[in-house]
Amino acid sequence: MSEEKRAELVNITIDGIPAQVPPGTNLIEAAKTVGIEIPHYCYHPGLSIAANCRMCLVETNKHPPGKLVPGCQITVMEGMEIKTQSQRVKDQQRSVQELLLLHHPVDCAICDQAGECRLQDYYQEYDYKPSRLDGPKWMKNKRKILGPTIVLDQERCIMCTRCVRFMKEIAGDPVLGVFGRGTREVIDVFPGKTLENNYSGNIVDLCPVGALTWRDNRFRARAYFLSATPSICTGCERGCNVYLDHFQGVPYRYRPRENPEINQYWMCDVGRLSYHSLHDDRLVRARVDGEEVEVEAAAATAAKRLAEQGGRLAVVVSPVLSLEDALAVAALAREGLGADAIYVSGRPAGEADRLLLRADRNPNRKGVELAAQAFGLQVRPFDVLMASPADRVLLAGLEIPGDEAAFVEWLRKAQVVVALGTNLSPLLDAAHVALPLAPHSEAEGTFVNFQGRAQRFLAAYAPRGGARPGWAWAARMLRDLGQETGWNSAREVFMDLGRKLPEGSLGSFDWDATPRRYLKGVVPLPGGTVDGRPAGMRELLPLRSSGTAA
Amino acid sequence: MRAAFISALIVGLCVLVGAVLALFYIAAGALGVVTGALFGKPYIGVAVANTITLLLVMVMVIASLLTLAERKWSALMQDRIGPNRARLGLPGLRDKALLGIPHFLADGIKMLTKEDFVPAHASGFLYTLAPMLAFGTAFVLFAVVPVAPVVSASEIPLVGGLAASMGVDPFPVSLQVAPGYDPGVLFIFAFSGVAVFGTALAGWASNNRLALLGGLRGSSQMVAYEIALGMSLVGLMMIFQTLQLEVMTDGQNQGLFGGILPAWGIFLQPIGFLLYFTASFAELKRPPFDAPEGESEIVGYFVEYSGMRFGLFMISEFIGTVVLAGVVSALFLGGYHLPFPPAWGVEEWLRSSVGEFGLAVVLGTNFVLKVIVLCWLQLAIRWTMPRFRFDKIQSLGWKILLPVALANIAVTGVLLLADPSLELLAIVGLAEILFIVGLTALYPKKQPASLVLPGRMMAGGTGH
Amino acid sequence: MASTKEIKRTAEETSQLSWYQRLFVPEVIRGLAVTTRHFLRNLFGGRDPSPDFAYRKGSLGNQVATLQYPEERAPYPVGYRGTHRLVPREDGKPRCVACYMCATVCPAQCIYIEAGEYEDDPIEKYPTVFVIDQLRCVVCGLCVEACPKDAIRMDTYQHTPPEYTREGFIYPIERLLKGPPVSYPSDPWLRRKDSAQPQDQHFPLHGVAAHSTEPVEPREPYPAGRNHPAPPVFTEEEVRKASGS
Repeated sequence: MSEEKRAELVNITIDGIPAQVPPGTNLIEAAKTVGIEIPHYCYHPGLSIAANCRMCLVETNKHPPGKLVPGCQITVMEGMEIKTQSQRVKDQQRSVQELLLLHHPVDCAICDQAGECRLQDYYQEYDYKPSRLDGPKWMKNKRKILGPTIVLDQERCIMCTRCVRFMKEIAGDPVLGVFGRGTREVIDVFPGKTLENNYSGNIVDLCPVGALTWRDNRFRARAYFLSATPSICTGCERGCNVYLDHFQGVPYRYRPRENPEINQYWMCDVGRLSYHSLHDDRLVRARVDGEEVEVEAAAATAAKRLAEQGGRLAVVVSPVLSLEDALAVAALAREGLGADAIYVSGRPAGEADRLLLRADRNPNRKGVELAAQAFGLQVRPFDVLMASPADRVLLAGLEIPGDEAAFVEWLRKAQVVVALGTNLSPLLDAAHVALPLAPHSEAEGTFVNFQGRAQRFLAAYAPRGGARPGWAWAARMLRDLGQETGWNSAREVFMDLGRKLPEGSLGSFDWDATPRRYLKGVVPLPGGTVDGRPAGMRELLPLRSSGTAA
Repeated sequence: MRAAFISALIVGLCVLVGAVLALFYIAAGALGVVTGALFGKPYIGVAVANTITLLLVMVMVIASLLTLAERKWSALMQDRIGPNRARLGLPGLRDKALLGIPHFLADGIKMLTKEDFVPAHASGFLYTLAPMLAFGTAFVLFAVVPVAPVVSASEIPLVGGLAASMGVDPFPVSLQVAPGYDPGVLFIFAFSGVAVFGTALAGWASNNRLALLGGLRGSSQMVAYEIALGMSLVGLMMIFQTLQLEVMTDGQNQGLFGGILPAWGIFLQPIGFLLYFTASFAELKRPPFDAPEGESEIVGYFVEYSGMRFGLFMISEFIGTVVLAGVVSALFLGGYHLPFPPAWGVEEWLRSSVGEFGLAVVLGTNFVLKVIVLCWLQLAIRWTMPRFRFDKIQSLGWKILLPVALANIAVTGVLLLADPSLELLAIVGLAEILFIVGLTALYPKKQPASLVLPGRMMAGGTGH
Repeated sequence: MASTKEIKRTAEETSQLSWYQRLFVPEVIRGLAVTTRHFLRNLFGGRDPSPDFAYRKGSLGNQVATLQYPEERAPYPVGYRGTHRLVPREDGKPRCVACYMCATVCPAQCIYIEAGEYEDDPIEKYPTVFVIDQLRCVVCGLCVEACPKDAIRMDTYQHTPPEYTREGFIYPIERLLKGPPVSYPSDPWLRRKDSAQPQDQHFPLHGVAAHSTEPVEPREPYPAGRNHPAPPVFTEEEVRKASGS
């Protein structure tokens, strides 16, 4: 094909609405461009086309009259007129829906998918009729344990084979298959195999019904209670885009958020499980010499002791901190304490895999290095830190790559140790002042991933207890050291200090490009709700966003 | 079932009263023998024993039980159950209501253990004196009331033998603290007149405006009824030509019309009975004459009193009830004499069958029963009628009771002069009783028009 | 409303007593007769021992209408919304599947649930924590309406009994799970032993999927008489016992 030919768009009409789409686009995607939804179960843009659910059948003028074609499989043709609302299409949709629900157990009461279930939604939209089944329903295994992370309910399954295709095509670990025929058809693992894969969590997201459930948070929360906040996974330096689903200040899960540049539609199980540290074993009260103190007093004590104690200063910055936190800590180190270098700690490296997971398990190493560069600080690796003793230590983040016990011993030799940390850690035993740090679920900020791509994340809920973002601690300490910063938000930190970053180091990153209300079509529900859910239950409403079930 | 139980209870109560009275006789006789042997004056011992048994035991017990009866009986009159929740924490009695008797024990304990409060700026001495005056004057009135007739000490079991062995001559024993006391009825007037000091002093000494109002009301009310009270008994004094209650009691046992009708005061003096009963009621400050107390408006002259000081006021009211019952019984209802026409000779028959002492015990029991029934009547009146307005109380006392009492004296005098055998007086008295009964029986079926309220004036008749 | 003039006139009229009433004594005697009649009736008349005071007969003479509360109780009307109970199954487990419907609908937000997982039950989900704060509850009954499993009912015919502490009003699952068990023909535990694929006599091949090598035991016969479970009937004894008196 020539260059001009490829750039041409195809003219089509969908329910009378004209549209131009690139050639090769299927009908579902084409209809999406004009805001028309063609219902579907088995189609997913990231997977191969199976066309087995038959829910997306539509009428076109390019096929024999009365012949319905699958919208996922058929691509657009010039002059194609697509009818998604004809009586024949509606009858087909209702019939498919009735067939899928025929032996479905309808145990929504115990189903984790209830509230984000395609069967529920489409039943309301396309069927809405009582069951005509007379006899007892076909019973299958309701609790088939496929592996350490996944449980399968074969009764709820509608045989869309998304999971089978994902394991085969994306994960490259084809352990799932379809067994039996007709009514007895079930999904299962092949005999002798178990589903143990770092990407197994994605089939839970892919499953349009509640057949596949994630054992980690099975039965822990109802989906319709959860609020979703756009966030960044901190499991590795990939920086996968995710939704953080939370309810009343408790995080319940990560879900991948579509980003074709980074993670497409997927995320790994390592990152998926990393949300636990946002909730478990949190450091929520500031401590001075083991005594719990108020936030202001703790910051003042930390600044006073760091400033008054002479001797060698070691500033250790963890690359789990956000860019804003790192900038503020660098400012504190340079302008408040007069340091000339920072030591970069961080989580120990792990195994990488071929898809998403990176060996470096820290989300913001690049950002920390940029922050140090901005303030002219040398960046030194963690290994050289313990070579000589330090008199005063500022620990920003408690993640360290090496032996914790040895590091604690080293810390004990110092006169003043100020530690900022999100979670309880053995390192806190050696800290004279411990300041609780707000993780990325409770603060706004930016991570710079290994590609140098800066990505914003939003605060999901208010910080717990006395926890504050790192820039807030740094600002307080700077004020106590006599330097008024005027920072009241992460944005002000970035606007103030981001100018010092090397020119062009963040590319075309615009801090304000990610609005607080992120997704289009989302309304902050003030009083009434569009979907009947109680107000305030979902600040952000990703209605069938492409991340979960496109 | 329940009726049988209650009846058995009443019969058992009569037997108990009889036994207790017999013990009283024996105690009085025994102490009389002792003082007779020591000082040669047996009446001292009898009087001391009667003081203890009649006043401290009988009157106090009846008055205490009346505090409970007031609540329990009023409950029955109002279709309620009444107090039955207090329990004795004794084995076997934990689940028994015991007719509510634990309540008055609990009341006593409560009053004795409550804070003894004296308001600031109260007149300490008078404040303390007031309940004593109220209690003592009510208490002492019973001294002249004859409970049971005179019996020779030799007739009393145990005492007769004791007297013989100690060499004491037989002496008369009666259940009356002050037998043969000449002032008699005047004693009652005198001390019930002193009772006003208790009320007035309590109101004054409390340093409380409401208490003072109550005391003023009480004193003015008692002054108003004091005269009618005295006048109402003049008729009886003329009839029996004595002031002693025991002489009047025995005088009522004479038969009229050939012994068909006992010469009870109520037959000879029905108007006098009504006057005396009403005036005494007002003297007691019991409802419907309880304006000095008036708990819904001024709380009363004892508003500042707490604990047993208040308890003395309250118990003196019930002692007054018992005394009134005893006096009315002795003056108008034949005292301890049985309610049978003398012609039937019931008492002679009893004397011959159970002896002099047995007859005395039966008569004494009869008296106590009359007292209890009259106490009940007073409580029934209290729970039947609403409180009078204070000006109505005054107008009733001055404008109605006093003129009627004076007229009663005149009419009685005329009738006595006309027929000293009392029969004419009895005929007129019976006619008066018949008139009242007939008037009551001929109650107009149709309500007087003035009582029927217009519909729109009925409570709740107009919607809000 | 009557005008002021009218009220004044009526008050004057009513304050005028007839000559008979002004005699007073007959009226007092008649009043006494009324009081005495009640007194004697209630003193000697027996009392109907029926605790249901609304149906007590007056034929025994006694007119006392008092209800001796803790010992005697007026029965609550049919449909009375009493304290909640979690309906048990025949095997003693709660019918509740921890779906949070009641907690969602509750306007007082007095229900707190945490879900757990059975490994060998036809329904895997059950409440490990089910708490009702009776002090917060407004007894609206919406939880009963919302429940898709008929697992919470308010048919105990008891009101919340008193407690000495606030904590005592927070009812845990042990206190809520009571009363007669209830099952319906469609209940999974009547149709299968556990969550595994059952063999059905109407479908001989059911459960024998091609890849399965595990033997399948025939399930127990269908329990009889479950088609129309009778509504629970509480005896007086049960009510008393349950109310702790």
